[in-house]
Amino acid sequence: MSDILVPLLVIIPLVGAAITLILGRHPRLQILISVLALTAVTAAAAVLLAIVDSTGKPAVVKVGGWEPPFGIVLVVDRLSAIMVVVSALVLLGVLVFAVGQGYADRDRDTPVSIFHPTYLILSAGLFDAFIAGDLFNMYVGFEMLLAASYVLLTLGGTGSRIRAGVTYVVVSLVSSLLFLGAIALIYGATGTVTMALLSDRIRELPLDVQMILCAALLIGFAVKAAVFPLSFWLPDSYPTAPAPVTAVFAGLLTKVGVYAIIRTDKLLFFDVPLQVPLLIVGGLTMLIGILGALAQADVKRLLSFTLVSHIGYMIFGVAIGTELASGATIYYIVHHILVQTALFLVVGLIERKGGSTSITQLGGLLKAAPFVAVLFFIGALNLGGIPPFSGFLGKVGLFEAGAASPNPLVYVMIGAGIVTSLLTLYALMRVWNMAFWRPKKDVEGYESPLIESLQEGPTGSVGTMTGTATATDTETRTSPLMIGAATGLMALTLGLTIFAGPLFDLAQRAAGNVSTPEPYIDSVFPEGALVPVSVDEGGVG
Amino acid sequence: MILVLLLFAGLSAITPWLTRILSTRVFYLVALLPAGAFVYTLTQSGRVLAGDEVTQSVPWIPQLGIALSFRVDTLGWLLALVVTGIGALVLIYCARYFSPDEPSLGRFAALLLAFAGTMYGLVTADDIYVMFMFWEITSVLSYLLIGHYTERKESRGAALQALLVTTFGGLAMLVGVILLSTAAGTTSIAAIVADPPAASALVTTSIMLILAGALSKSALVPFHFWLPAAMAAPTPVSAYLHAAAMVKAGIYLIARFAPGYADTPGFTEVLVVVGVWTMLLGAWRSLRQYDLKLLLAYGTVSQLGFLTVVVGFGSRDAALAGAALLLAHALFKCTLFLVVGIVDHDEGTRDLREISGLGRRRPVLAAVGIIAAASMAGIPPLLGFVSKEAVLSAFLEAGEHGEPWGWVALVGVTLGSILTVAYSARFVWGAFARKSGADARAAAAPHASHSPDPLILIAPVVLTVATLAGGFLSAPIGHALEGYADTVPGEGDYHLALWHGFEPALGISALVIALGLGLFAVRARFSRLQKKVPVVVDASRSYWAIVRAVDAAAARVTLFAQKGGLPQYLSTILLVFVLCLGATTALNRTWPTEFVLFDYPAQVFVAAAMGAAAIMAARATHRLAAVLLVGATGFGLVVLFSFHGAPDLALTQALVETVTIVVFVLVLRRLPPRIAQHNKPMKRGRRIAIGALVGVTMGLAGLIALGARQAGTLTDELARLSVEEGHGKNIVNVMLVDIRAWDTMNELSVLIVVATGVASLLFVTGRNVSMPRLRESRKRRQTTQRVKLVNDPHTSSEAPDDRQHSWLLGGRTLAPENRSLILEVLVRLIFHPAIVVSVYLLFAGHNAPGGGFAGGLVAGLALIARYLAGGRYEIGETLPIGPGALLGTGMLLATGTAVGSLFLGADVLTSAYFETDLPLLGHVSFGTSTIFDIGVYLVVIGVVLDVLRALGGEVDRQQAEADGDELSDDHTVMAEEAR
Repeated sequence: MSDILVPLLVIIPLVGAAITLILGRHPRLQILISVLALTAVTAAAAVLLAIVDSTGKPAVVKVGGWEPPFGIVLVVDRLSAIMVVVSALVLLGVLVFAVGQGYADRDRDTPVSIFHPTYLILSAGLFDAFIAGDLFNMYVGFEMLLAASYVLLTLGGTGSRIRAGVTYVVVSLVSSLLFLGAIALIYGATGTVTMALLSDRIRELPLDVQMILCAALLIGFAVKAAVFPLSFWLPDSYPTAPAPVTAVFAGLLTKVGVYAIIRTDKLLFFDVPLQVPLLIVGGLTMLIGILGALAQADVKRLLSFTLVSHIGYMIFGVAIGTELASGATIYYIVHHILVQTALFLVVGLIERKGGSTSITQLGGLLKAAPFVAVLFFIGALNLGGIPPFSGFLGKVGLFEAGAASPNPLVYVMIGAGIVTSLLTLYALMRVWNMAFWRPKKDVEGYESPLIESLQEGPTGSVGTMTGTATATDTETRTSPLMIGAATGLMALTLGLTIFAGPLFDLAQRAAGNVSTPEPYIDSVFPEGALVPVSVDEGGVG
Repeated sequence: MILVLLLFAGLSAITPWLTRILSTRVFYLVALLPAGAFVYTLTQSGRVLAGDEVTQSVPWIPQLGIALSFRVDTLGWLLALVVTGIGALVLIYCARYFSPDEPSLGRFAALLLAFAGTMYGLVTADDIYVMFMFWEITSVLSYLLIGHYTERKESRGAALQALLVTTFGGLAMLVGVILLSTAAGTTSIAAIVADPPAASALVTTSIMLILAGALSKSALVPFHFWLPAAMAAPTPVSAYLHAAAMVKAGIYLIARFAPGYADTPGFTEVLVVVGVWTMLLGAWRSLRQYDLKLLLAYGTVSQLGFLTVVVGFGSRDAALAGAALLLAHALFKCTLFLVVGIVDHDEGTRDLREISGLGRRRPVLAAVGIIAAASMAGIPPLLGFVSKEAVLSAFLEAGEHGEPWGWVALVGVTLGSILTVAYSARFVWGAFARKSGADARAAAAPHASHSPDPLILIAPVVLTVATLAGGFLSAPIGHALEGYADTVPGEGDYHLALWHGFEPALGISALVIALGLGLFAVRARFSRLQKKVPVVVDASRSYWAIVRAVDAAAARVTLFAQKGGLPQYLSTILLVFVLCLGATTALNRTWPTEFVLFDYPAQVFVAAAMGAAAIMAARATHRLAAVLLVGATGFGLVVLFSFHGAPDLALTQALVETVTIVVFVLVLRRLPPRIAQHNKPMKRGRRIAIGALVGVTMGLAGLIALGARQAGTLTDELARLSVEEGHGKNIVNVMLVDIRAWDTMNELSVLIVVATGVASLLFVTGRNVSMPRLRESRKRRQTTQRVKLVNDPHTSSEAPDDRQHSWLLGGRTLAPENRSLILEVLVRLIFHPAIVVSVYLLFAGHNAPGGGFAGGLVAGLALIARYLAGGRYEIGETLPIGPGALLGTGMLLATGTAVGSLFLGADVLTSAYFETDLPLLGHVSFGTSTIFDIGVYLVVIGVVLDVLRALGGEVDRQQAEADGDELSDDHTVMAEEAR
């Protein structure tokens, strides 16, 4: 069963993309195909998760029947399955929102006919990156999702999007190049790209060499995950895209990087001591990121900075490295994917209802759009780590794991995490104060001392310099689909609280698979790797 | 207990709807719930007072040790009664306090009810995390309630300030909670308190952090400033949250932990110092207020300090006194706020300078207010008096037992109490007395804007009765509270009573009352004295300073981090790369010892040439030159591939480079030929340095990596596998379409995305699916031609049906000066052979250089040639299908082979292979991987077509449009086609 389901995760969206390409003239059919494809993937992923979880063994598929390390293997352990399920849900939710937005615009050409194939290829790339058991195939997965993201980001081709797109595309290409270079180095040193085999082969190398390879690989991933100081590009790129695109980027793309970092740390470079550097960059990611959020008047940019900031929590969890920490990290990743996506969708709604995304111009939304207000408030509290929401539970998990493996640096990090949490709440509640509570008629410059200090800060120049220029979207219609999608995702975040027990349990089991390389290796090579003996200097293209 | 909480949650959720139906009467309805909880708690009294506990637990997140466990012991019972009882009364009060046309009434009712439930959860939770959750939720509800008047700026500001301050403390507390529960190995508060972990710096730190949370919540110095600001809330909120319930949470927490942790170093010391300081500061400020509500607010701050000293003192007697005082304070302070609310309603002001003679007009109100204030001042026979007696006795007792902190607390509390008496008197005077100065103003003001409403008095009267009764029932109350006090270690046998005989404490009480009243009598002089005392530290101002500093830091850091835009981001990324890789390389101790510099000397030459081309490309000032130089590096790679015995790769690379250059040139048509140079020389130098460093580091890393190899590569085994199992002699092709077909399938999608993405940027108005063809434009041309015939000899020379006479159909659409007959002839002649070659490459690829990718590129080049010779209509004439269809079909073929093998029960993308002898064709072999390769072939053609159509055809069209050419109307044709 899993033999079929695993490849289908990628094939279904690709087939969907092919069909929607052919059906370029039929937007309704395109929608139907996309929704069907993603629903099918979601179902397949859920079944797969159930299978993998119940058997306790990763599902391994040898593509084309070729034995590893010659052919490509796809490996789905609990972590991969969780990532795929959550991504599929988010992709589906955002798709519904995008469709709703299209209907609300009453313009059947936007999203343009390539939206659906591109979106489906993005999905396929994401899923492929999560299930790849082969480092080069993971790279291919990254390429797919990045190439698709370039297109989605520049959809519509407005000036600000193209400008943001240039930053995004160039940085992503550089990071891909670094990733590819790292793969070349690793292949050069070990003669394989099959991750299960790499894990063994890398451990046979001198530690010095391991560290070089590890550094090379991690930098590529860290750019994608937006880890400080490789994170500056993100807030300049994401916010300009259409709301659903930003939502899906924010929710998923950085998490692929985090996922890859987990694999690097736990599977490929198990012996390399990464704790201290990861703790330091994790802490800085949190703090610098959230300070960035405080300097923003534009809610989309603000959320992009919180996105960067909260990547720090995940890095923190990876750095602690215990099973408890890994479990909490996985829970946190799931939480963050959902809440960040949902919040961006809500901002999409705010943009519609309020005509802007800047708190200097928004006002009176509590009265104008009470339901959106409730959605935003829940999301903001969740992101700000207020109990009983999942953000709080995730942080408690991380901090508990930190407290259980005491070390001065970990305590400093817990402190940084706390400060970040407080500042996140501050940034988001300020938005609430201004955009939702403040009456529309008072929207004339800044008002409270808080905001005066925001005004004193050079936010304006930050904004103009990087070309925020939120094109004031005069479109004010929303459709039930948009509200429904945002509500659905927000409801999922609430589900993370209510079912926190079983979910933490699942995350913990997933962490049990992940925290040492052995389960992964054993699943790919049940009888030990058959290692070709011949030493040859030539490579294979 | 869980059921009670669920009821609270459920009822709160529907309260806004109920309010629409019931208007202000909804408060009576929802008050039933806290009242019911009050009764429910009363029914537990028997068990609790007998020393038993009521517990309930449901597992929630066992991995984190978090369970929904609740437990009612004496302390919890006391607080549960306070929060539910007062909650019910305040809700009843609200029904009359608000007029039915009050905006956002439903929201307010729901929040207040939810708050009551949350408080109930807070005081009954046994799991420390669950307690913390309720703790934080009260902060959020308080935020929403303080900001109730959302249109008022100060409400919003005060709400945010209160939230930030209490959350700051709350988060500090969270760290403490995590550390403490980890150290104790349990999350049950009862267990943590009953069996504290061995004293250590860690435990002390965690207790201090927890205390920080308590201090911020209960508005103690230095966090006290948020409470007076929170008076922006409606008065019922002030009465309930900011007098009776929420601010007591900190006191509750201290009382909770005192039995187990009073011995922790610093516990008593910190609490006594902070408490006394807060008590004096609050009372001092209270005496300076003219707003009755603010007077009470500072009074609350003062009283909270008082409570902190008492419950934090950590002796059995003090604990008993603290519990009694907590009850007394809740009763009288809530009453006083409710009274102020009524005064405010009646008089339209809370300024005590403007209110006069109210005592006479509203005798019941005045009686209630005076009794409550008397309790606050500690005047017998009220509950306030009884508890204050107990406090004084406890401190005296401790002092006499040689505890210096007992004396400190005693002196502090006595001083504070004197001020308390003074401001209590000031309150009574301010609210109810006749004031000569104010009479005129009061007379002028429109009196009694609200008619007196007896129902609004229910809550204050009930509370006052409780205050009165409490004094007389002090013995049984004391007996009940001893259940808590006895859990605090240490001796003590004090019992609450109205009359203890002539004791030192009584003397102190009498002295305090006398001095306090004396102070009130000389209030004018005292007020002048107060003005002269400078404010040393203004906590509120410090708060704003901190907030501003954070904002400023945020702005500065962000400006610094984000200033440079893309160049800076890239430099950062590359520098980090150089640093990390450089550092690890520098630390490396295993350098390779044998070097193979080259296999053939020519490699060195090619590499040098590629390097030179790359450098020149970076320095080029003309775009075209840069593009050609980049192409040169690509062709260098072709040579290197050939040296390595990879003809297939070389072929493909050569084709890719060719197509790329053509595409580049198409784009360059619309760009200025020269590359603008903005860079200052210094920046340039820095970038050169970064570039060089990246190259060097990467090179060194490569050297080390390759030198460290121990295992062999897969090459030999792959060669064997591809022949024996992949049935192909071209390893590269077998890898692409079989062994690593999964990668290829995925990369196809990348190609598709890029091509369609590029096209979509150009076809912003709508992507047409089919190709623009001659026949569509002809209709239009014919009509325009009629007009043009006269003055355009070129056009007229063209017969509409010269299909047979033209080498390339599209050529006719070109302006004559752009046409080249030779080119058209040439293209026409080579096109079909090129397609044949491409098909040959496709099918031969399995055993010889070629394959779907190379074949597709050759076909693509043939298309490009047709376009270059014949113009944009030529594309459609050559291949009258849309790229979408080609791309989609190709993708379907590729994925189809993948799915097909799944249907046959094999692993995904497993290939099958047939061999047979056919007449004419001879020996034919065919693998399903060939179908896959056909998919690749189609996709590649589709990509070229799409790019050509966009960067070629569409750019032509836009150019033409820009030139005002008559062809501009084709835009409409294309748009129509798009539909």
